Amino acid sequence: MNKDILSGVVLLAIAGIYYTWSTRIADSTLSDEIGADGLPKMLAILLGVLAVCLIGRTVLAMGLRAAAATATKAETEEEEDDNAPLPRALGFLAFGAAYVFLLPFVGYIVATALLIGTIAIYEGAPRRSWIVLAAAIGGGLFYWAIFVKLLGVNQPMGSIFQGLF
Amino acid sequence: MATFWDIFHLLTETPIFFVAIIGLTWGIMGGALPGISASITMALVLPFTYAMDPAQAIALLACVYIGAEYGGSIPAILIRTPGTNSSAATVIDGYEMNRQGRAGEALGISLMSGVVGSLFGLAMLILLTEPLSWLALAFTPASYFGLGILGLSVIASMSGGSLIKGLCAATVGLMISTVGTDPISGVTRFTFDVPDLIGGIEPVLVMVGLFALTELMSQSGSVGMARLNASIRIKLPSWQMMNKLKRSQFIGCILGLFEGLTPGGGGSIAAFMSYNEARRWSKTPQLFGKGSEEGVAAPETANNTVASTAMIPLLSFGIPSSNSTAVLLGGLLMHGLIPGPRLFEQSAQVIDSIYVGSFIAIIAQIGVGIVILPACIWLVNRPRHYRAGFIFALILSGIYTLNNSLFDLGIALGLGVVGFFMRLARFPVLPMILGVVLGHMVESSYRRSLVLSGGDLRVFLEDPIAVALLSLALIFIVFSLAREIRDARKAKLKEAHS
Repeated sequence: MNKDILSGVVLLAIAGIYYTWSTRIADSTLSDEIGADGLPKMLAILLGVLAVCLIGRTVLAMGLRAAAATATKAETEEEEDDNAPLPRALGFLAFGAAYVFLLPFVGYIVATALLIGTIAIYEGAPRRSWIVLAAAIGGGLFYWAIFVKLLGVNQPMGSIFQGLF
Repeated sequence: MATFWDIFHLLTETPIFFVAIIGLTWGIMGGALPGISASITMALVLPFTYAMDPAQAIALLACVYIGAEYGGSIPAILIRTPGTNSSAATVIDGYEMNRQGRAGEALGISLMSGVVGSLFGLAMLILLTEPLSWLALAFTPASYFGLGILGLSVIASMSGGSLIKGLCAATVGLMISTVGTDPISGVTRFTFDVPDLIGGIEPVLVMVGLFALTELMSQSGSVGMARLNASIRIKLPSWQMMNKLKRSQFIGCILGLFEGLTPGGGGSIAAFMSYNEARRWSKTPQLFGKGSEEGVAAPETANNTVASTAMIPLLSFGIPSSNSTAVLLGGLLMHGLIPGPRLFEQSAQVIDSIYVGSFIAIIAQIGVGIVILPACIWLVNRPRHYRAGFIFALILSGIYTLNNSLFDLGIALGLGVVGFFMRLARFPVLPMILGVVLGHMVESSYRRSLVLSGGDLRVFLEDPIAVALLSLALIFIVFSLAREIRDARKAKLKEAHS
């Protein structure tokens, strides 16, 4: 399916879901004429209309100019070359999700070191390199010094280390 | 106004010079860390000012503010992560220049434009505080609505060639801004009983997700921009270049002055509007978005001007126009100083210290920038496999700092995925960011206006400031649409010829 049509369908779905949720916003005696649900409902309708316009415009362009579709395809292929493949990009972000999961358990220094080390390996650093290990540990300690010691930010110490400190 | 001898006394018998340098350096460091906004940077130093002399303490806070506003541009240019909200517009051309191996030039332009904007703002602060301060009091909810719409009018020209896609992105941004507590009735919207959502989604999360995380994801697996032998030298703009940039810097100064005076305006709107106007008036508008020097100069001049001019309503009436000036207000009150006309008479030394300290900080910004920026360029040119992890960890650490919330990290990561898909489908992200930044202001001021007028829509036509701002917005939209149509026709003709 053409990317713009697919985007239009997704936006239409978002508009529908958002509208449904906005009907569930509670009423309040303090509310004004427009109400807490006024803007959300209007935005949902606007997004729906825009999504339909996007789909309509793309379908029209495809129907009228088949050559343009070829050009779009070529352009899209070129554009894809600039970005990492989807699984690789999502894989990268998965390390961030793992960091969020591990942070409360292992604490800031360990989680940060693990993140720096694993990302380095994921991005092509040699697996058994002492540089990766040094960068990971050094990075964890460096950020801890900046955020915790210098700026006084209360980063998690880690539940598994709680008894130690 | 301070006499020569007052200034001489300040420079020779007080530690104002050191206070200014320390404040500036601290501010640049804080502003350069993603997630640490200018207000947080100032709040972190606030407890240390308690034991200081009031004049030095307030000067220190003012210098931190100036440094932080400038510091935000460093990660915006180097790692596509705006350090502060107001440096989001700098990302567009600053990062593009970095991609082209012109990081030193981009940082030099941002540094000098920041100095130009700050000096202009300081001059306005010193000379025009009294005559301009009336504007802060003249703002009604209807005026705020006009201001918000004026900010949103930029969307039309930031849609990257597809107005429908730009409007879709802006609408989604406005939708994100509705999450949290309703500004009028106080009921919660789209919070799903999650306490972290009651306060809404911070714009900085959206910026970091859409800009920085998307960029990191997109570059994954590539050699990226590792240029081990790349020059780390800061290239300050030549006279010729400064001459070329004067138009965009002038636009930045004027819009920065206006936005600094208007409570709630803030550096973000000024930066985006300056970018838009600089493109409109540029001789080479086609270069915007592709590494234009003017595209860096305009927003940087604007947001640095705001750092000084935002103090005008604060010192005159005690009206904080942003979170940062609210912290400054806290500093003033902590030392028993009540903002207002009497502050200028009774605590003249405090006012003089702000002026002199700010001036020292602005000039010292060049020296401090020349010292620290090469190290920043060196860092971002390390091999990608090490650099990516360090940047990712820095971003996540910064986000956690906002509210000490793991939920915020999840939101930013989710928005990173959204940004990646937007990139694949060629949706512009800037309109979405504008929607998030301005959504709350537009909605709350519109509804407040109607509450005050008993539902009468004429309130927007009876307020002269609102009328002026809405008319300007209309003009901007019409011009942008005309340009869109003209460009589309040109492209069609070109296609037909080829």
